[in-house]
Amino acid sequence: MAADRNDLLPGTLELLVLKALSLEPMHGWGIGQRIDQLSKDVFRVAQGSLYPGLQRMLRKGWIRAEWRTSANNRRARYYSLTRAGRRQLETEASDWRRASETINAILRVRLAQGDA
Amino acid sequence: MNPIPDLIERCKALFFRDRLERELEEELRHHRVLDEAAGIPPLQHTEQVKEEVRDARGVRPLEELIADTRYALRALRRSAGFTLTVVATLGLGIGAATAVFIVGNRILLAGLPYPDPERLVRIYQQYTPTSWGTISVVDILAIRDQQRSFAAFGALRPAGVSIVGSRGPERVGAGRVTSGFFKALRVAPRYGRLIEPADDVAGAPRVVVVSYGFAERALGGAAAAVGKVVPIDGVSHEVVGVLEPGRDELAGIRAPIWPVLQLATPSRRGPFGYRGIARIAAGATLGDAARDLAGISERIFPLWASGFQDSNARLAPVPLRQAIVGYANGQIGLFAGAVALVLLLAVANVATLVLVRTSAREHELSVRAALGAGRRRLARLVVTECIMLVGLAGIAGLGLAVFALQAVGLVAPGLPRLAEVAFDASGLGFAAAATLAAGVLVSVVPLVSLFTGGSSLSATLAGSPARAGSGRRAGALRGALVVSEFALALPLLIGAGLLLNSFLRLQRVDPGFDPSGVYGLAVSLPAGRYATPADVKTFWRRVEARAAEADGVTAAGLAGSLPPDTFGDVNNFDLLDKPVPAGTAQHLAPWSPVSPGFFAAMGIPLLDGRLFTPGDSATAPPVVVVSRAWAATYYPNESPLGKQMYSGGCTSCPPTTVIGVVGDVPYRGLAGEADAVYSPVGADSQDVDLSLNLVVRSRIGAAATFHALRSALGALDPQVAPVEVVMSERLRAALGDPRRWTVVVGAFAAAGVLLAALGIFGLMSYVVRQRRRELGVRLTLGAAPSSLTRLVVGRGLRYAGFGSAIGVALSAFESRWLGSLLFGVRAADPATIALAVAVVMAIAVLSCSIPGFRAARIKPVEVLTAE
Repeated sequence: MAADRNDLLPGTLELLVLKALSLEPMHGWGIGQRIDQLSKDVFRVAQGSLYPGLQRMLRKGWIRAEWRTSANNRRARYYSLTRAGRRQLETEASDWRRASETINAILRVRLAQGDA
Repeated sequence: MNPIPDLIERCKALFFRDRLERELEEELRHHRVLDEAAGIPPLQHTEQVKEEVRDARGVRPLEELIADTRYALRALRRSAGFTLTVVATLGLGIGAATAVFIVGNRILLAGLPYPDPERLVRIYQQYTPTSWGTISVVDILAIRDQQRSFAAFGALRPAGVSIVGSRGPERVGAGRVTSGFFKALRVAPRYGRLIEPADDVAGAPRVVVVSYGFAERALGGAAAAVGKVVPIDGVSHEVVGVLEPGRDELAGIRAPIWPVLQLATPSRRGPFGYRGIARIAAGATLGDAARDLAGISERIFPLWASGFQDSNARLAPVPLRQAIVGYANGQIGLFAGAVALVLLLAVANVATLVLVRTSAREHELSVRAALGAGRRRLARLVVTECIMLVGLAGIAGLGLAVFALQAVGLVAPGLPRLAEVAFDASGLGFAAAATLAAGVLVSVVPLVSLFTGGSSLSATLAGSPARAGSGRRAGALRGALVVSEFALALPLLIGAGLLLNSFLRLQRVDPGFDPSGVYGLAVSLPAGRYATPADVKTFWRRVEARAAEADGVTAAGLAGSLPPDTFGDVNNFDLLDKPVPAGTAQHLAPWSPVSPGFFAAMGIPLLDGRLFTPGDSATAPPVVVVSRAWAATYYPNESPLGKQMYSGGCTSCPPTTVIGVVGDVPYRGLAGEADAVYSPVGADSQDVDLSLNLVVRSRIGAAATFHALRSALGALDPQVAPVEVVMSERLRAALGDPRRWTVVVGAFAAAGVLLAALGIFGLMSYVVRQRRRELGVRLTLGAAPSSLTRLVVGRGLRYAGFGSAIGVALSAFESRWLGSLLFGVRAADPATIALAVAVVMAIAVLSCSIPGFRAARIKPVEVLTAE
């Protein structure tokens, strides 16, 4: 595994996968690439967590999987969002936004106190 | 969260595992190909990724359980002998325990099959706190007219009657009942009606209610039975109703027909022989009923005091369930005790077997531990196997219980309410609980032994090299198992020994007559068939005379009751020279009308005085012949000849004189007293005997004799349906119950001792295997091989001895159930106990000697080089 890039923040894999799949159905490798690309290579999705994560999301009913022929004419397992998955993305995204805004606000407060 | 996709994915993971694995493989390969194409270094640890995906499928624990189960099944199949032994041992235990539980539950605990059964009572005549008897016609009429605490009251008199159905004349049991009987029980007819108050008035047309089975069998179908006429003891009874199917037993009496009981106005307080059945009224209690009945007793006593002097006697109600199943308590208790002991023995034995097997597999388990299986994983393996084993045994036991229920009727045919016994949900629950408890007990044992140190496995798990010797705690557990097996087996053996002892004593009881070649015909004359008492007497005289002249017959006589067991009538009497104090109960003795020929036919010797002559008739002063036991009881130091008594409580009647003493015949059963009083047939001017036994001694065998007797009888009255009696069979039948109990408890004891023997054999074999190294060292150091044998056998004997001591102590509790079944031997019979201990110790020596000899044959070189 590459050590020069950050692994995902804990608990964010599902959110990022949902976001990636909301753009278009993709296979596992594609999801990893898409997240790398969207994060401008800041995050790296490890295979070791991607595939178990996908399996868990299948069980939660957020995504479905089907075998399709890919662009370069290979059989690949494509994942796509279900309706429940779309709802989950909205919930998780707003949760995340609220959490990160709160954390940012807290961090700002501490910086201001440090200045004074 | 929506559970459906989760369920689908988990099911896929369980049932399409191979496909999922192929897809995962392909997906990861695809990923790798794309990585390579994009110049990304491909992942090295694909196996780890796969594992994590498998974890994420959420069926890992289930898969492991399946794998464990498969492994356990494979292991059990590999050692089929062990599996079969355990399943059979435990299955038998669980099956027998379940069957006994169902019987006990149904008979002792379940309510009677009537509406509001707890309000039903049987009314007794209570003489002392422990002496209870039947009630009389006087009592019945008084209760009927005066009671204020019952919603319904009826009388029942069980009887054997002759009937003529579609299959010709036959003898059947009958319950003669008044209309109140059915009202009290609140049973409903399937067809027709039950007995109504108008029916039980003396002189009303005779009616009968029949069971469904009887109507089907003898009356051409239940639906068509109503309106048919059945001659019962020669009197035509019209069938007015048919009971519901399955109603073969009412208030504890099993009978196919229930003729009306019509009560005539009595002339004295007796005779007794009736059962009162009543339903306590709503709002009244058992106490109210008792006070009500006591009041009635006090009011009627003065009216009949001349013939019934026991002023302490009280009419008393007893809950019907208790009245019916009271004596079954002991039988079922004995059963339950024996079965519980065998079940516990089976569990202890299986635990020992599992323990020994686990030790034999220690090496295999150690290898697994070395390969990385944790403590928990190993424990799960062992426990899964135990659960499989016990589960199989539970299933086998369940099947067995169903069969065993059928056998209960054979083992204890006298149990009340047997018809109600059937497999039910509570039986299933009991079997499940017993299986679960056995499973826990059996699983704990190998776990303790595996993980409490000492074993090579625990050494491997602890990471230290194996030590010689075994853990103290595990050793104590093993010892406790074997000790408990002996402690459990001994009470069984002692019980069986006591029963066998008393059975042999019963068998040696002198019946007082020589039964070979003695045959009887029980003849019941239809009431009203002969117009006058004189006609009836003439009939009996002719029957006796014809029988005496029949081919092969050397002697013939008549008797009201036959020994042993059925003493028929018991009569009260008061000796003129030794009257009982006023207000106390008179003496009672079996009392049978006989003709002089009876003594000759039976071979009962005349010891003193004379037998009856034709002059001892109804017009002559009444006389009786007594048995030696009667004479010894009432006139221990003088001759009873010429002594006089009032019989039947009739002080206005002429006194009865003793004219002879004959040999003892145990009318009260082989285990009972042999007191008896004989009166001459036909000497009673009021009552005439309608049922007598024709008894003959014959030289020509049963078939020919019965043929001769039947033709003699048929020539006099072709309508009489006699019942054949072979005296030697009667005598054997009297030993039937003791024999059955001896066989049953003996079988349990044999099983118990066998289990204990297997247990100690298994354990000592295990000990020898465990201590091979130590024993080998001892041999090398010069120990004699025979001393090793002594060591092993000695240790086994210590276990057996300790267990036996506990067992003897436990057997003290047996007397509660065994006491009533024993004859001539106390429950704490030292000889029987000593013999049982000796047998158990001898078996222990035998069982230990095989591992003992094995210890002596250990080759030190092999053992020491193997390490």
